[in-house]
Amino acid sequence: MNALLTSAVAGLTAGGTYALLGVCAVFTYRLVAVVNFTGAAIGTAGTFVLIALYEAGYPIWPSVAAGIAAGTLVGVAIGYIMTRWFGEASASTKAAVTVALLVGVIAIGLRLTGGQHPHNMPELFPGSAFRMAGVEVTIASVLTIGLAALFTILADLFLNRTKVGLNLRALADRPMAAELLGIRVQLLSLLVWGMTGAFTTFALMIIAPQRSPNFMTLSLLVVPALAAALVGLFRSFWRTLAGGIVLGLVEGMASSIDSVSQYRSAIPFLVVLAVLLWSQREARWDEAR
Amino acid sequence: MSRLVVSNLSINRSELPVVSSLDIAVESGAISVVLGANGAGKTTLLEGLSGIIPVAGGTIEIDGREIQKARPGVRSREGLAHVEQGRTVFRQLTTEENLRVSLHAGSDLDEAYALFPELVQRRHVKASLLSGGEQQMLVIARALLTRPKVLLIDEMSAGLAPVIVTRLMSAVRKLADNGLAVLLVEQFAALALSIGNRAYVMRRGRVVHDGDCLKLLKSPDELHRLYLGG
Ligand SMILES: Nc1ncnc2c1ncn2[C@@H]1O[C@H](COP(=O)(O)OP(=O)(O)OP(=O)(O)O)[C@@H](O)[C@H]1O
Ligand SMILES: [Mg+2]
Repeated sequence: MNALLTSAVAGLTAGGTYALLGVCAVFTYRLVAVVNFTGAAIGTAGTFVLIALYEAGYPIWPSVAAGIAAGTLVGVAIGYIMTRWFGEASASTKAAVTVALLVGVIAIGLRLTGGQHPHNMPELFPGSAFRMAGVEVTIASVLTIGLAALFTILADLFLNRTKVGLNLRALADRPMAAELLGIRVQLLSLLVWGMTGAFTTFALMIIAPQRSPNFMTLSLLVVPALAAALVGLFRSFWRTLAGGIVLGLVEGMASSIDSVSQYRSAIPFLVVLAVLLWSQREARWDEAR
Repeated sequence: MSRLVVSNLSINRSELPVVSSLDIAVESGAISVVLGANGAGKTTLLEGLSGIIPVAGGTIEIDGREIQKARPGVRSREGLAHVEQGRTVFRQLTTEENLRVSLHAGSDLDEAYALFPELVQRRHVKASLLSGGEQQMLVIARALLTRPKVLLIDEMSAGLAPVIVTRLMSAVRKLADNGLAVLLVEQFAALALSIGNRAYVMRRGRVVHDGDCLKLLKSPDELHRLYLGG
């Protein structure tokens, strides 16, 4: 029992990261109407800038700042491609484009970072925050979950209390009507991409030391992130947050049970499948009514 | 000189010409009415003017400045406002939020409420829950808050009760009287002609009549002939 709890808690850091990445995915979807498969890859690019600077002997916190700036820029660059050339495309076309971009970014990333070559990723926040039921809860997990909650709260305040947030909601509702009123649509969209890029990068920097930090595995963290977003039906920030954390916990527990641990990377897919079936059932029920 | 001058304009849709060599002008303080049957190209014309779709040739000038190559947002900042067909309110936003989106330095929510006092008690209602007439008022008021020089309005009366249509028409007349240049697209002619100054009739993407509104109003046979061709 205790072993199960320990491994569940060990899954919290991952859960917090899934939650944060998921919340960013919902933010992107709600505001610029893109299901973004490059979310984690953007953060990964920023994280590898940190790794490169750190390995070259630069002090850590300036390197972190440089990495976050780089992640923001990569986010803006991908956002530019999406708004400039695919602004009018359908939701599924846009999603497909981000998958293609993901493949491209991974290929470039692997090439630049030496493929599977092991890297020395500094732990930004080593140690445990507190003990719970006899289990150490790491600072990293508290931080990722806290960051996800902070992003959720800030996003909410930003969207509902500021003029820029109001413009973004209008843009999400009817892009052309917003543009016809003189709203700087492209600039606002790039702001969304930049903001999510920055947050994602920081989240990935925290979780990278616990994963094998290679460009591909980190970029593919988008899968559990989108699974979490799906739990929130790409609408609710809080349900996405909870979805991400639960996903991490379940993964953690699964890793301690020998018979299922090899299949634990399939868990996000099971969640996706379950949510899709469940939402289909609801749709059918609505139809029947 | 006219506020809005459109010269030799042509617009294609799916590579086919929908608007061809079209000339239209609107004076400040006046309403130019564009009439025409379904599919004549009225919506296409307005979408080309505001930049929703690109134009294939010709020029669009506001106070002598050419805008036909600019993006919609830029044209808006140059003083063009477009009230689209189909009441494009921001559905998830309240009435007041819809208005606040287009609030500019120098414009004021009170102007919107002064034009349509009906909206005051609906200010905190989600726009998707407003009636058709209220939504139409909202999109007109919203366009007004961008401080336009030229207002394009597409079929604002579609599907509305006659009493509401009369209400909207008199509000638009008031806006023109305050100096706005209005290009009013309508399928149902009589009311529009009664508030308008200059009348254009379009058929298959071309202007087939350009004249005085009252004159056309007094000769329904002529109007009928223009609509149907022949
Ligand atoms: N996206 C499109 N692709 C190809 N043709 C189009 C497209 N949209 C409209 N058309 C064609 O262009 C012509 C003009 O359409 P438009 O909507 O401008 O007419 P309208 O005068 O506004 O008609 P209505 O009174 O019905 O609103 C029509 O023949 C229509 O079939
Ligand atoms: Mg039309």
